[in-house]
Amino acid sequence: MASEKSSNAKTGHKFQRSGFSYEQLIRFFFASNAGLSIVILTLIIAFLLKEGLGFFPGYRRDLETYRIAGLEFVDISRNNLTAHEQLTSLLNRAYYAEVNGKSSRELKRTEEASALYNAFTDQVGPTRDLILNNPQAETDGNAGMKAALLNNYEKQREKALQKPLSTPHLTNEERQQLIESLRARPPEATDDPPLVAALAQEFVAAQQKHAAPLQEFRTVIDDFESAGFDLGSIVMEMTESVTVTKEQLQTADILEKDRKTLLAAASGEKDPVERERLLADAHAALADKPDVETPMQALLERKPECVRLHEELKTASSAAFDKIPQSLTESDAKRILSAARKAWPVFITDLDMAPGKINAWKHTDPVPLSDAFMSFLTGKKWVTGGEWQDFYGILPLAIGSLMIAMIALSIAIPVSISAAIYVNHFAKPREQALVKPIIEFIQAIPSVVLGFVGILVFGTILREISVMDAFQWVPGFPIEERLNIFTAGCLLALMSIPTIFSLAEDALNNVPSAYAEASEALGASHVQTAFRVMIPASFSGILAAILLGFGRVIGETMVVLLVAGNRIKIPDFSEGLGAFFQPSHTLTGIIAQELGEVPLGSVHYRALFVVGIVLFAVVLGINATAHHFVNRAKK
Amino acid sequence: MVNSSTEASVSRDTAVQIQGVNFSYGSKQVLHDVTMDIPTKQVTAFIGPSGCGKSTLIRCINRINDRIPNARITSGSIRVHDIDIHRPDINMNELRRRVGMVFQKYNPFAKSIYENVVYGLRIAGVSKRSELDEAAEKALTSAALWNEVKDRLNSSAFGLSGGQQQRLCIARVIATEPDIVLMDEPCAALDPLATLKIEELIHELKQNYTIVIVTHNMSQATRCSDRTAFMYLGNLIEYGDTMQIFENPSNPQTEAYISGRFG
Amino acid sequence: MIDPEILIRKGMPRGYFKDIFVRLALGSVTYLILIIALLLFARIIIDGAPAIFSTKFPFVDIEFLTAKNETLHVFDDAEGTRHQLPASKYNEYLDAHPGATIYNEKTFSYSGGGIAGPIAGTALLTLGAIILALFFGVSAAIYLAEYAKQSPFIHAVRLAILNLAGIPSIVFGLFGFSVFVLAVPVITNTPSDRSLLVIPLLINDFALSFQGWNSSLMAGCATLACMILPVIITASEESLRAVPQGFRDASLAMGATRWQTIRKCVLPYSMPGILTSSLLAITRVAGETAPIMFTAAVAAKDDFPWEGLSNPFDILSSQVQALPYHIYTLAARIPNSEFTQRAQYGSVLVFLILVAVLSFGSMLLRAKLRAKLKW
Repeated sequence: MASEKSSNAKTGHKFQRSGFSYEQLIRFFFASNAGLSIVILTLIIAFLLKEGLGFFPGYRRDLETYRIAGLEFVDISRNNLTAHEQLTSLLNRAYYAEVNGKSSRELKRTEEASALYNAFTDQVGPTRDLILNNPQAETDGNAGMKAALLNNYEKQREKALQKPLSTPHLTNEERQQLIESLRARPPEATDDPPLVAALAQEFVAAQQKHAAPLQEFRTVIDDFESAGFDLGSIVMEMTESVTVTKEQLQTADILEKDRKTLLAAASGEKDPVERERLLADAHAALADKPDVETPMQALLERKPECVRLHEELKTASSAAFDKIPQSLTESDAKRILSAARKAWPVFITDLDMAPGKINAWKHTDPVPLSDAFMSFLTGKKWVTGGEWQDFYGILPLAIGSLMIAMIALSIAIPVSISAAIYVNHFAKPREQALVKPIIEFIQAIPSVVLGFVGILVFGTILREISVMDAFQWVPGFPIEERLNIFTAGCLLALMSIPTIFSLAEDALNNVPSAYAEASEALGASHVQTAFRVMIPASFSGILAAILLGFGRVIGETMVVLLVAGNRIKIPDFSEGLGAFFQPSHTLTGIIAQELGEVPLGSVHYRALFVVGIVLFAVVLGINATAHHFVNRAKK
Repeated sequence: MVNSSTEASVSRDTAVQIQGVNFSYGSKQVLHDVTMDIPTKQVTAFIGPSGCGKSTLIRCINRINDRIPNARITSGSIRVHDIDIHRPDINMNELRRRVGMVFQKYNPFAKSIYENVVYGLRIAGVSKRSELDEAAEKALTSAALWNEVKDRLNSSAFGLSGGQQQRLCIARVIATEPDIVLMDEPCAALDPLATLKIEELIHELKQNYTIVIVTHNMSQATRCSDRTAFMYLGNLIEYGDTMQIFENPSNPQTEAYISGRFG
Repeated sequence: MIDPEILIRKGMPRGYFKDIFVRLALGSVTYLILIIALLLFARIIIDGAPAIFSTKFPFVDIEFLTAKNETLHVFDDAEGTRHQLPASKYNEYLDAHPGATIYNEKTFSYSGGGIAGPIAGTALLTLGAIILALFFGVSAAIYLAEYAKQSPFIHAVRLAILNLAGIPSIVFGLFGFSVFVLAVPVITNTPSDRSLLVIPLLINDFALSFQGWNSSLMAGCATLACMILPVIITASEESLRAVPQGFRDASLAMGATRWQTIRKCVLPYSMPGILTSSLLAITRVAGETAPIMFTAAVAAKDDFPWEGLSNPFDILSSQVQALPYHIYTLAARIPNSEFTQRAQYGSVLVFLILVAVLSFGSMLLRAKLRAKLKW
């Protein structure tokens, strides 16, 4: 159409000149607006790369400092020490679980009594404080006011005692006694009611009684703990010295950067006096190279000592660990102890490897750029803003994002595709008119609202379900955190259902009606037609719908930021499926959470842009695959 | 409203009995009191200008019109082998298997040639491979397609030419061994050569099947049908032997139509 | 010849129960989604209704919708009466009762007063973004629908639109931050240190400095506009293509130029469709949080966006509160307690009502349009 018009114009119509240029101008205006999409996409890519690519050299320099200053060397011992501390804490937890489990009756009694008492104090607290701390009420003229306050207090007290908390482990007399003592309690009383105090003592006595046979276990734990003291103190000493070196190196880096800025300014400056001044400044900023060699030699001299202490740690802790009771009686204690036993061989292997690592370590080993890449792509730690050393490993974030997406999709795919088949193939027109707008409206709910619902409603419900006895067979129940991967996954499922539903329904709708007609004319039932003809024929489209849903889930920010729990740690897979009930962080969440707080241009800032690049590439890849399937479906 | 075949005798020679059928889409009535008997093992052609209700009528015989919301028979009955197809305990799956249908636009499924042919058997619960193989070969041979596709049974049905696809659809229908085959303008989307092949095929199939064919092509009706019904505006105008209808029509409207004065 | 008796079924048809079962299973899954969605809305409505509805005329808590957002002070006076006052009223109270002692004082950030600030901010952001996106988006769509032929340029444009539509909103946040906040050019006489490039303009020391607009209303609008551009372009192109080709042919055949044709014979008929689909885009823009977190939004602000400005254009370079960001703040940054519930559930309910009105409005309009515009 357009070509006809312009060729007409070229033939020499009398309005050719003016018409041609004016039309051309309009055409050019619209074309440039169409090109805007390309400009935006290019800008996105360019600026992500501009801010992101500087990350790798910066991170390489960080890692180099980490090595030159000797932090890396200290970390070999430190990591083992941390593992040792974790084992100690597990053993301690097992010990207390055993003792408290055996004294559980007393524990419950004291807890119930205290809970009742605390609920009472919370209720009467404000009125009580008013009586105690109100100077106006103390004066003689204010007797009326004081009476009013007292009256208030008594009202609150009766309200509190109307429905005291249940105390299944207290006898009726005890309960009655406690309630009466609270009723008779004057507002100025400060000490605990007699029964509460007595029960606390009873519990302490029970603890002592049950701890007595476990005396040996206690000693073993203490021995185990003290096995790490020597290594601990030397790590502490080394930590101090390497921190000083690291700070010197960082200061030197900053000065060097300043100097370069000054030199650059000087070369651009035309006024000779000013240039001289800048050059002098630059010269002054030329810092003395910090002395890293002397502290490093001192550090390297400690190698034999470190090795020896590692061996001692191994001998001492093995000796202690062997003496641990084979089994405990309380189930919680058993569980914790078996966790400790599981962690033990890993710890020992690490200890065995340590001397080799210590001896092989050299501060002069170069840190190539590929180390920064690998450390980013395969790093298991994302630690930022710490005093020791920042690590930017993407794995904990990527794994969190993927696990959330797995939960979301494993709920959303069956649900939304079933709904699509039902609405497209089985529902009456009136049903379609009801279902489709509601699902469309779910799509319109802003993600931040869903996140809000997740925090205040869904997380709480999930936790309440998880403590019910009927659901204890579910791995990971009872959950520790109400905000976790599963909670986020469920909400994202709700979010991706409309996307997958409407695309899958479109795909089913695009199957020619002749297929269904032919199938039914051959005697197939409705269900047979749906499953043998409709679904196979729209398979590409349904696959595309799933992929686009996946892209949406991976790219979603607000829900995961609010609901995933934001703990930057790879979930503990030793708990099996229970790992899905642990909190986690995500690729999108980390950007939203940290970008506002990092200094512009810092390595951390650039790291967030690299995460953005990864996200961009992944989502674009998913969408491209999806569109490939869509195009195939069209053919 | 002349009806040349008024005797309502139920003989073994009658495959389909249509009695006083009124049919409407919503409030729009498209068939008015149609009554006719369709004989077995013969080819019956429905002719008439477009919109005359011939397709609607043929689609009533296997109740495929049930798919359309608000479309229903308001009065009258259709009996297949003397069984009222609207009785509540009718076996719909069996009915549609016994009364096969070939559509205007060839519509093989997006499956292989083989899977297309055995589809009807599979949904009927046949899963033995040897049985399926045998049925497929038999059906494709009857549809005169076996020699053309025997080497590529597992390739997509969409790789065939239009005429081949339509013959594949016919094979798909006769694989379930129906008694009656309904053909709704089977050659409308085909070129003359492919049309010829289908017409030859109809001649062959007549030996074993009762065939009802809708066509707007009058020469096709003369070439391959034994009896012809002329419909106009939802009414059955004239029904009789093809020779008689074309050479000596008793109704002036029929004469006007077949001599090309309207339609 | 078949035995006619086989056409009559004995008992239930084969697969009857399987059919019923499959149908029931699929149907119940479908209705399960609806039930979960309705439960969710019900919960928000039940908890949020007390905040914004009242039993007295005019049945809506006007103050919650029109007052600024403030810190909530909860305290007891000497008589033991509990007060819940937003910061401004709290100060008034202190002034009115000099020397009064207050007890058990607690403060809750962002929980007092109303949500007029966030509502105003969201309205401004949405308005700005939609105006920008409609202008550029409809122009681009006109090119694609009316002028474009198959060419590498068009292919690239379509690819770019497709890709833009899939980019996660947080990446748009990064983009908006690095481009609109930190890099776009401004004319100033005091270029910032971090400016990427300074081009002197030779007039009174003014220079074109690529230093960005800072976190501001216009940076937020621009980011949001980029985000919904593909939605607007796709919807507008569809509306333009829905206008019958005959209209154009007739107009061109009468000697009208292409632009005249578009203006008189295409745009007027496609405008209702374009506007309807932009309603849907408004819903999306109003609900987005990630792109404005770093480009425009601020958690607390004492004034309305239009207050305290020396000239009206300064509104563009000021930060604003926004409803979705406000909800994020309420959900993530303050503890949940009986005193914060009004702010939390109230804000969410107001937001949800806004979104519901917009999206059902667009659905109704679309249905009406389809019924009306049948060519």
